[in-house]
Amino acid sequence: MTSRLPAIELSKVSRRFGALKAVDDVTLSVAEGERRVILGPNGAGKTTLFNVVCGDYAPTSGRIAFFGQDITALPPYARARRGIGRTYQNSLLFNGLDVLENLYLAVRGVKPRRFSFLRPSRDDPHVKAARDIADRMRLSHKLHVTVDDLSHGQRRQLEVGMALASDPKLLMLDEPAAGLSPGDRPELLRLLRELPRSLTLILIEHDMDIALPVADLVTLMKDGSVVIESTPDKVEHDPAVQAIYLGEAV
Amino acid sequence: MSTGNALRSSSALVTVSVLAVLVALPFVLTEFWTTNILVRAMVYGIVALSLTFLAYYGGLLSLAQMVVAGVAGYTIAVSVPGAIPENSLQIPYSLAIPLAVVLATVSGLLIGAIAVRTREIYLLMITLAIAVSFYFFVQANVEYLNGYEGIRNVLGPDIFGVPLRTPYVFYFVALATSFALYALVLYVSGSQFGLVLQGIRDNPRRLSALGYNVAHHRIAAFGVAGFIAGIGGVLITIYNIGISPGTVSTHSTISILIMSVIGGLGHPIGAFIGAVIFTIIDTFAADLYDRDRFNTLIGVVFLAIVVASPDGVTGLAKRAGDLLRGLRLIAPGAVAADPTLQANVPSKD
Repeated sequence: MTSRLPAIELSKVSRRFGALKAVDDVTLSVAEGERRVILGPNGAGKTTLFNVVCGDYAPTSGRIAFFGQDITALPPYARARRGIGRTYQNSLLFNGLDVLENLYLAVRGVKPRRFSFLRPSRDDPHVKAARDIADRMRLSHKLHVTVDDLSHGQRRQLEVGMALASDPKLLMLDEPAAGLSPGDRPELLRLLRELPRSLTLILIEHDMDIALPVADLVTLMKDGSVVIESTPDKVEHDPAVQAIYLGEAV
Repeated sequence: MSTGNALRSSSALVTVSVLAVLVALPFVLTEFWTTNILVRAMVYGIVALSLTFLAYYGGLLSLAQMVVAGVAGYTIAVSVPGAIPENSLQIPYSLAIPLAVVLATVSGLLIGAIAVRTREIYLLMITLAIAVSFYFFVQANVEYLNGYEGIRNVLGPDIFGVPLRTPYVFYFVALATSFALYALVLYVSGSQFGLVLQGIRDNPRRLSALGYNVAHHRIAAFGVAGFIAGIGGVLITIYNIGISPGTVSTHSTISILIMSVIGGLGHPIGAFIGAVIFTIIDTFAADLYDRDRFNTLIGVVFLAIVVASPDGVTGLAKRAGDLLRGLRLIAPGAVAADPTLQANVPSKD
């Protein structure tokens, strides 16, 4: 396991916003196929860390490697083409388009010849792939519904579906359970468990019933830094975790 | 989806009937109406269409579309035989027109490349700056563009031996071109490129995270709009029998914007609806109101439409359509035929 290159490796990565160190000297390595959960109170820098890994913000300092290749300076679209897929805490969808069009764009973005003035044909393999993802996300009955008219839960399902559609090597989910009804949560857990083992998953999640069952390792962040990195069973009973998490969040 | 098909076939029916009416119109209307209202509305409407295309599908509001049209117009004006002052190029129309459209597309791409990092009000300011600079450039260039006077006597090609400017011929050429470009915009909106463009409008950040280069697609959108505006510019120049700085002035830039906004930026057809309304008001305002102040009337009508319906005439039509559909849902089929039943029968789900 140690001989293989880590899927993603952060070396001394920092991101400042003025005086605020949102991410402060984070060194982190996630192995291929690993499920990593990132915990931490609000403002710990989890989402900023995601944005730095995906290229929305360049790190102020440090280096990011994806399967051994330096991606620190790459724009977001180049990282996506290499196989990094992500979701957002607040769904970022194409509200004026329908579900199938959203998924089609997600399938198509990482494929070559994405610049075409032609309409996709009915039996286009990418349209078929988009339909399959809709099936998997239980959105088949909403294919031609505009995103604006979806319920919150359906928007979250689509959000995850779009990240999966590009068939990424590294999937980064930012609070996928946020705003889901209790009834929808087991469905999300099932989906996360069904992800192929070849896929590397990094998950920000506050809901322990979803986060801990899927996690191989848990990283706890506070004030931009990594505080603890451990297995889920240890984290669950760690007094420091409870102090940081329960002490500040409640 | 049966409702989708029904909607599509009903909108196809509307398109065909409108087209049939437009084909019949010149045989019913006077030549004045055909040429001074409808043809004028169509040739300027094409430039408005390019603006609506950028605004609706790309979320990019550009004031430089008349510049692009001007590039095409000046290209044919300085190259075709017969134009006054005489040029040394003497290229036939069959080559000058494609050249004009290519140069317009290239200038569209250039404007896109300049403006690509700006958004909203800043995009508006940058494209306005380009428009104003272009106006002063053509006015100052006496050597090639004949400065303030511009270039006259651009008569247009012959179509099968008949001069293009023959009223009927010009009408049908303008109609066919407008319809073709309108259809092109509708087709492209559903294409791979069109979907990406709408994705950029809705959420550029997500689109980038999906693997698309947002800047390249934005620039390409300006290129497509440049192609459309270029064809409009060729027709405008032949319609006006020439081109002068006035064609690309701030006044005409704003006229194009007014057409698009009156018609509504929510659908490409709005450009032509807005162009017809604008042309009618622009033509008759001087008769209805003080000759020196007819612009006030245009302004008032513009304000009234924008206040009554911020998304223009097409927005108004869309809302009326939704209202009708809503009524039909409450009282479907046979019940609708008998108004006395309507109140008592519970609506079927």
